[in-house]
Amino acid sequence: MRNLHQRSICWVSAFVVILFELASPSFITISGVSPSWSVLWLLPFSLVAGPFFGAFAGLCFGLVLDGLSLSYFTQVPAFVILGWWWGNLGRRSTSIERSWSLGLLAWIGTGFVGLTFLFQINLTSFEVPGALLNAWALNTLLVQAMLTGLLAPLISTWLLTVWRRGSFISLGQNSKGFMK
Amino acid sequence: MGAYPWGAPFRFRTLRRVMPLVLLIGAFGFVRWTKGTAFADIYAFVSRPFWPGSSQREWVQISAQLEQQIKLNLLEQDNQRLRRLLSLDKKSGSDRISAPVISRTTKGWWQKLELGKGGMNGITPGDAVMGPGGLIGRINSVTPTTARVMLLTAPGSQIGVWAERTKRHGMLMGVGTSRPQMIFLDNDPNVRPGDVVSTSPASTLVPPNVPVGVVESLDEKVWPTPHAIVQLIASPEAIDWVQIQIQR
Repeated sequence: MRNLHQRSICWVSAFVVILFELASPSFITISGVSPSWSVLWLLPFSLVAGPFFGAFAGLCFGLVLDGLSLSYFTQVPAFVILGWWWGNLGRRSTSIERSWSLGLLAWIGTGFVGLTFLFQINLTSFEVPGALLNAWALNTLLVQAMLTGLLAPLISTWLLTVWRRGSFISLGQNSKGFMK
Repeated sequence: MGAYPWGAPFRFRTLRRVMPLVLLIGAFGFVRWTKGTAFADIYAFVSRPFWPGSSQREWVQISAQLEQQIKLNLLEQDNQRLRRLLSLDKKSGSDRISAPVISRTTKGWWQKLELGKGGMNGITPGDAVMGPGGLIGRINSVTPTTARVMLLTAPGSQIGVWAERTKRHGMLMGVGTSRPQMIFLDNDPNVRPGDVVSTSPASTLVPPNVPVGVVESLDEKVWPTPHAIVQLIASPEAIDWVQIQIQR
């Protein structure tokens, strides 16, 4: 891990993810809803870096995203929990590298972030009838989770491969996890 | 015998000589009665190739628009003066600046725009943001070179509006969808689909009487007050430049 955060690809990719969150490119949207680029980055990072650094990265991403958004919801708790959970999964099982597994984890993670939004919306309610808000929020939650789940096998797998290789090398292991 | 004496008996030859004069007078009388319609039409037909071109027409149209703009400015100044007298002048001194849209998120969890101008251009949080046709949102936060706009469709967006036809006030609240909801303050708003909704003259958050949208549907059975779904006039999805009404 010490070597992971020192690698430029880690910082550059995190910066690109923030730019993507800000730009929200319209060519990767479904009915106007973008994927959760942060989840696509946080998932492989946490799997490689472990629970502590995963939660720390989640905290950092959550704070940045809160700053970039309209600041009536917070994303910090959801990202910290996801970073911790995925970090534990990565520690327990090194076999989470298949497209299906990453897609499913990204789908669950994005759904979890959406559920925390939904909870906060219902908590604040904005004095608007809940049915309208819930319909919009459920639609956004499902679309974003699906899109993120579909993109995870492409983006997260690539990032995981790059970071795992670097992490194993830094720990004195080869790419199959055996000591040299 | 040269000329007929007035007392001479009527002859057909005399009628034949006088008749052309009578007809001519009658024809001119007809022209007078019809205000020269035939002459005007013939003149228009003949002179059509020499009529002024489109450039002159545009020039006249521009002049007319300028005249309307001057009238509008005068009315605006008059309105500001009256509002000042009524102590409603908190937003009176203001200018508009244009800013490019550098990023937009009109769907999803955040309905916002990122603008390419910020605090260095005098933009402050709370300024009203206008698109072609009407209000689209308010400035949420500002950096030195960018500004973030909370769209009227975003959950949490609330501004005071009224239905211009019936003068009934309400709150326009974003619900995440592309059509915000107007919650009336009266039980009987007397509003129907198609009515124009504009910012309230009593609002201190946004400039008064800025068009916002059109009532699309009305639900009068909602307790405690009726709600209306409003279709915005300015569509944030297709706007590349906006105008910000900055406060002096």
